[in-house]
Amino acid sequence: MPHATESALRGWRRHAAIAFITLWLGVQIGVPLAQKLDVETPFAPYRYARYSWAMFSRLVPRYEVSLYRLRPHGAPEPIPEIDHWVRGYRSPEPMPMRALYVSEGEVLDRFGGLVAAIARERRDGYTYVASIRWTANRPQGLTTQELRADAAR
Amino acid sequence: MPRANGGWFDPVPAYRIATLRVCLAVVTLVFHVPKFNGLLDAYTASAFHVAPAFAWIPMPGRGAGLALMGLQHVAAWALFLGWWPRLAAWTLTGAGAYIMALDGEHYSHNAHFHLTLLALVGCAADGVSLRRLVLGADDDARAAAWPERLIRLQLAIVFFFAALDKVLSPHWRMTGAVLTAPGFAAHAMGLAALQRVNQVVLGAVPGVLSLATIATELALAAGFALPALAALAIVLSVGFMTYLEFMVRPGVFTWDVLITLLLLSPAADRGWRVVHAARGLRPLLARLDWMRRLQWVVPILPSSRSTRTVEPAKASGGLHLVSPRGRVFCGLAAVCALPAALPGPLLVGLVLARFGGGFLAARGLGRWDDLPFLALGAYLACRLIVTARAAAGRRDSSPSDGCAHANAGQILDPSRGRR
Repeated sequence: MPHATESALRGWRRHAAIAFITLWLGVQIGVPLAQKLDVETPFAPYRYARYSWAMFSRLVPRYEVSLYRLRPHGAPEPIPEIDHWVRGYRSPEPMPMRALYVSEGEVLDRFGGLVAAIARERRDGYTYVASIRWTANRPQGLTTQELRADAAR
Repeated sequence: MPRANGGWFDPVPAYRIATLRVCLAVVTLVFHVPKFNGLLDAYTASAFHVAPAFAWIPMPGRGAGLALMGLQHVAAWALFLGWWPRLAAWTLTGAGAYIMALDGEHYSHNAHFHLTLLALVGCAADGVSLRRLVLGADDDARAAAWPERLIRLQLAIVFFFAALDKVLSPHWRMTGAVLTAPGFAAHAMGLAALQRVNQVVLGAVPGVLSLATIATELALAAGFALPALAALAIVLSVGFMTYLEFMVRPGVFTWDVLITLLLLSPAADRGWRVVHAARGLRPLLARLDWMRRLQWVVPILPSSRSTRTVEPAKASGGLHLVSPRGRVFCGLAAVCALPAALPGPLLVGLVLARFGGGFLAARGLGRWDDLPFLALGAYLACRLIVTARAAAGRRDSSPSDGCAHANAGQILDPSRGRR
């Protein structure tokens, strides 16, 4: 049959395969190990890390985010066209979320960056706010955190 | 017959890795490509983005995003059909890694695991397309063993680190806090009842079950790493993954692990002998025999129990199979044995049922995502009937699941060879 595909690796292909296998195993073993043992702070308490096969490893933090804007001494108002900034987001009603694969710091960075970007773009005198309320398995710290950005004219 | 104890660069039957590739491609088509394209669609339609994992990664515009979505579809179909499969697998791996790197919220362990498998499948030079897998009658295609070996080691690494993480996490160890936390998926009536029983048990002894989970994952790591423990890996994987899928939360990780079990199966050994199959069944079985495990043989039957003369068997209805160990299966018992001989198409069918059902369930059309559970239930019911029949000894005194033949030697004529 012409179908037969004999495959005995020889020569440079064999060396290339050995190099690939060695590199692959080195990365696959080294990266998760470095993350789990936290080489930067070796005696720190356990923390979740991506790329380390930490499936179901922790109680997933849950939180609600409210995105709105304020005039000085005014009531919260919806942010216009919030869906343009991040598709699927709503304002001002709270959005329930899970920090499934991200840290508390990444959550704060995301929403802090979002309100800062909106304020920078609009320059309308409002204060743009992301209010984060941790509802379950919250990380260390406050239950509610507010991130503000002033959109100076 | 191929054995896992050969060299890393020895040729092994190519049908195993080709079947694995087809099954992974189906998961890619029904789950990963829609998921990644959805993420990319939302990303490129949004004005705000967090910084990507690496500063040098370019952020795609709408046009580039649409092109990448199309490319993923093309690559997934090419992988499925076996057209430039290595290029297709690495294209999907690269595209998926790029999308995950764009935003931390795009990451998931199941996607990471799937992309890892795609990359390793992309290392295999099997040269067996889907068309050849289904329509070909050949069993002589060979490929280097090392991609298969590396995938098994990858599984071992994943389970080892999953266990290590649970050892280090304060939410596991003796507390078992993760096991008792809410977050179990809702299911239909029968499965929901089983799930409630499971939750009661988890609530009663979470620490014990936490340690049992860690031990299971360590055993799985050993099972995948050591060829001698392959049987342990199969049993534990099927049990553990079925438990995760039905009792905890359905996930694509389960299906990827079950698919990799193909690597622990023999291939191109023609170890299962088909003594008789109904006229319409034979071509169907031949098309489903992707791993080249079936061999058609000419049966002989005792003409009389009182004499030793034999004559060719007459067509007598159901399917008659002889396992590689010489065990005879007939009728319903043979149907129940088929998953061991034809695991590739079975997995494709289950994946389609699982994700097709999930698609319908997500649109409020009922709990169709429980379809694999119903299939498992139906299979277990058939096994129960077969066992009950054998125990009752209704058919004859054969030890072979109610078959009319006493043993393989009495119905196989080795001199006639393959049909």
